[in-house]
Amino acid sequence: MKNERRVALLRVLDPAHENPGYWERFRAEIMERAAFELARRRELARESVELVLSGWSRSLIPVALAAAVIAAILVSSEAVRDPGAGVPLVLEDVLATDISDEVLETAITGEAHASPVAFMAFVEGNRP
Amino acid sequence: MRERSDAELVTRARSGHAESFGELVRRYQQPAFSIALSVIGRHQNAEDAVQESFMVALQRLEDCRNPDRFAGWFLTIVRNRSRNLIRRESLRSGDQIPASASNAGPSPEKAASLAELREGLQEALNKLSEVQREIVLLHDLEGWKHSEIAERLGMPSGTVRSHLHFARKALRVELSGWRDHLAPS
Repeated sequence: MKNERRVALLRVLDPAHENPGYWERFRAEIMERAAFELARRRELARESVELVLSGWSRSLIPVALAAAVIAAILVSSEAVRDPGAGVPLVLEDVLATDISDEVLETAITGEAHASPVAFMAFVEGNRP
Repeated sequence: MRERSDAELVTRARSGHAESFGELVRRYQQPAFSIALSVIGRHQNAEDAVQESFMVALQRLEDCRNPDRFAGWFLTIVRNRSRNLIRRESLRSGDQIPASASNAGPSPEKAASLAELREGLQEALNKLSEVQREIVLLHDLEGWKHSEIAERLGMPSGTVRSHLHFARKALRVELSGWRDHLAPS
């Protein structure tokens, strides 16, 4: 018996051989039976996404709040510790204030004359 | 449109995507039927085994660790469920066309003739080993290539060819008296 004949004979075993549309109906039956499980899986997948998002928010929001509080504390403590921080000293302002002639003379002729910083430190230290 | 791979369909079906699972059913319902028929030997029971296997596969999709090899994994389920079915119930006498899926079936006379032919074919197939029956049905009925059978049943291609050769040889002898029954209408 040749292959083609054997194959043709074996096709009788296919339920669709004498029953067109058999496999479409068969598939429809399976899909009907699978509907509940597929719906369960869709629900599970939806819940998983929500769970991940809520998990993120649960950890992310407290961390962000803590960071904001810490930043606020750091900024305010820095301001308290050095209220004049960031305000430059101006030599003209120093000279324009009330400084005695002796102090000014000593500052100009003494060691404080070596640098502007030493000069200003001397003047500030001898302010009345 | 590009045809989705088994792996893609499995991944989507895991999330409950009905169309993807439906496509897997469309691809593998007939090969699964061939496997079940090879094990059980009766149409009605083979249909039950295939339906049951799809339900089990859907429930256990997470166990399919390599979705690219869904076919082999699923056909193993079919084979095991078919064997369980044999163990679980005593098979009913006489073959029956599945009632639910055969609404547009042949007339009672043709059905009887068809049932007789199927019974004869089944007897011939029963002379083969289970694996030979699977291979000859997947190759001759489903049109799978040697390489596809080898990959999906997890055996070397040479073994598939060898089984097919001996199965054909045995069937040639068994079916030699059936020439007049070819392609009944």
